[in-house]
Amino acid sequence: MSKDAELVKKLKDPTLKDKAFSELLDVYQERLYWHIRKLVTTHENADDVLQNTFVRVYKSIHKFEEKSTLHTWMYRIAYNESMRLLEKNNKKSFDDIDEISSSHLEVLFEDEYFDGNEIQRKLQQIIDGLKEKQKRVFQMKYFDDLSFRQISEILSISESTLKSTYYTVVKIIEEKIVI
Amino acid sequence: MEKTSENNNKNNFLKEGMQNDVSKHHKDYLGTTIPEGYFVKSKLSILEKIKEEEGTEVPKKKKIFWMHANFKYAVAASLVFILSLTIWLQSSNTSNETQVQVELLSFNDDVLINSLFVEDDELEAYAKTTLINEVVIKAELSEQKMDDLILDSMILDDSLSDGKFIETLIL
Repeated sequence: MSKDAELVKKLKDPTLKDKAFSELLDVYQERLYWHIRKLVTTHENADDVLQNTFVRVYKSIHKFEEKSTLHTWMYRIAYNESMRLLEKNNKKSFDDIDEISSSHLEVLFEDEYFDGNEIQRKLQQIIDGLKEKQKRVFQMKYFDDLSFRQISEILSISESTLKSTYYTVVKIIEEKIVI
Repeated sequence: MEKTSENNNKNNFLKEGMQNDVSKHHKDYLGTTIPEGYFVKSKLSILEKIKEEEGTEVPKKKKIFWMHANFKYAVAASLVFILSLTIWLQSSNTSNETQVQVELLSFNDDVLINSLFVEDDELEAYAKTTLINEVVIKAELSEQKMDDLILDSMILDDSLSDGKFIETLIL
């Protein structure tokens, strides 16, 4: 039994749930935070979404059917929670995410918890200029360290398409970045 | 020489992986940071929030079978059906006859009720007038008719004989 499967088993057991949940936070809190932070831009928003995500995980763990990995399931919850916050803040739907991301850089550079140098700003700008799908795939693979299989489950895109998208983006970035 | 170094840097820019430190990775590449000791504090506030939400959450009531929504709908539907069936049966049995009966009953009731408000003198006067109009006049008329009939039969008899008798009677 994998470590995650064992954790899920404990989470579904009412007598072990609280202890297992603390363990779950130790393992996934940081990774989910960074996933969320890239979507909602500021630390303040990411903090809110992270809390909501874990509360939702705690409440719905009994519904988790283990068809995907625990990580993927939580990642999807975090993604949905992020979209919910963006919609609430911008009163725009997920379809309008391009418009949301146009102001993404302004908000990011003004955030208290951003102190990027010239290169980092440049990388942010390049990523921001990517197509929405390319951006998500690159972030999930390069920064969230998800496997192509996990990304495929989350975005419902075939692994081969994901691989080709990812390597195209890597090429674009390396072409544009001049150190 | 400079060009080669630049190309090497380009090719190595995204080569380094996560190296198990997510926050450092993000800091190094994206310039994003977090407050010091954030994850420790965040863990505590998440656990606190869950406790709070569990405390405020109303425990789900145990439902008895007859309180289930499906059962309620079935009962409501049956009641509506029975009620409509009763009304339909009643309306289909009601004929003109019963309608007339109802009208008569109401008429009789009205007469009886009105009679309570009529004075005795008025009732007597009404009875007398009715008696004169209806009974006496009718009686007189029928008596006159009888006389005419007798007279006609006598004239007929007389004409068949010699005619003297009638002349004597008229005179």
